[in-house]
Amino acid sequence: MTYKEKASWLMLVAMVLAYSLYFGLIIAGHPAGTSLFAMLWLFGTIAATQAVVVIIGCIWLAIEARKLPRARIDERDRGIAARGTAISYHVLLTAMIVVGVVMPFTEPAIKIVNTALFGIVLAELVGLIVVVTSYRRGWHG
Amino acid sequence: MAKLPFTNDIRTLRFLAGEMTQGDLGDRVGVTRQTIAAIEQGKYSPSLEVAFRIALVFGKPLEAVFQWETGSD
Repeated sequence: MTYKEKASWLMLVAMVLAYSLYFGLIIAGHPAGTSLFAMLWLFGTIAATQAVVVIIGCIWLAIEARKLPRARIDERDRGIAARGTAISYHVLLTAMIVVGVVMPFTEPAIKIVNTALFGIVLAELVGLIVVVTSYRRGWHG
Repeated sequence: MAKLPFTNDIRTLRFLAGEMTQGDLGDRVGVTRQTIAAIEQGKYSPSLEVAFRIALVFGKPLEAVFQWETGSD
């Protein structure tokens, strides 16, 4: 696996774990689902922890990759990353239309905020799944 | 994943070039070992530039490395 592929797997696993916890707690009735202050604390804590784990992991992967003489990012890595971004953009756009155009008429602010967060996380997850799948199954550009 | 309409002889050409490794070829072409492996297995269609660079490494014309499959569009 290239550095980019390993980093994509790391980000995917970290996101699934972190946001399964966050949205799982909200579904289970955590105050973050009804109170903005509680939401900011819970989301901030989980997002910050996830970010630290990913940053440390990527630094470690980069150090490991530098030990290899042929570690570099090439046209395949860039093409696969662009594909993931292009597909996740459509998910993000759809989520933002729902959150910004439809929900303000019917839903309370906290639910709009959590749905927006879910849309962002979902878009990023879809992009990462496209990336790791493209590495594993192949992609013709 | 759709099947590529062309095949390649990179594995054979590497063998004939003294068992050149995928990493060595990648270094000379400017891509990773994994990308050379993906091209060999038909999992990645390289850019025209990389295709020409691969042919150049082996001192062959492009059509000696990549062959269009008869019957493909």
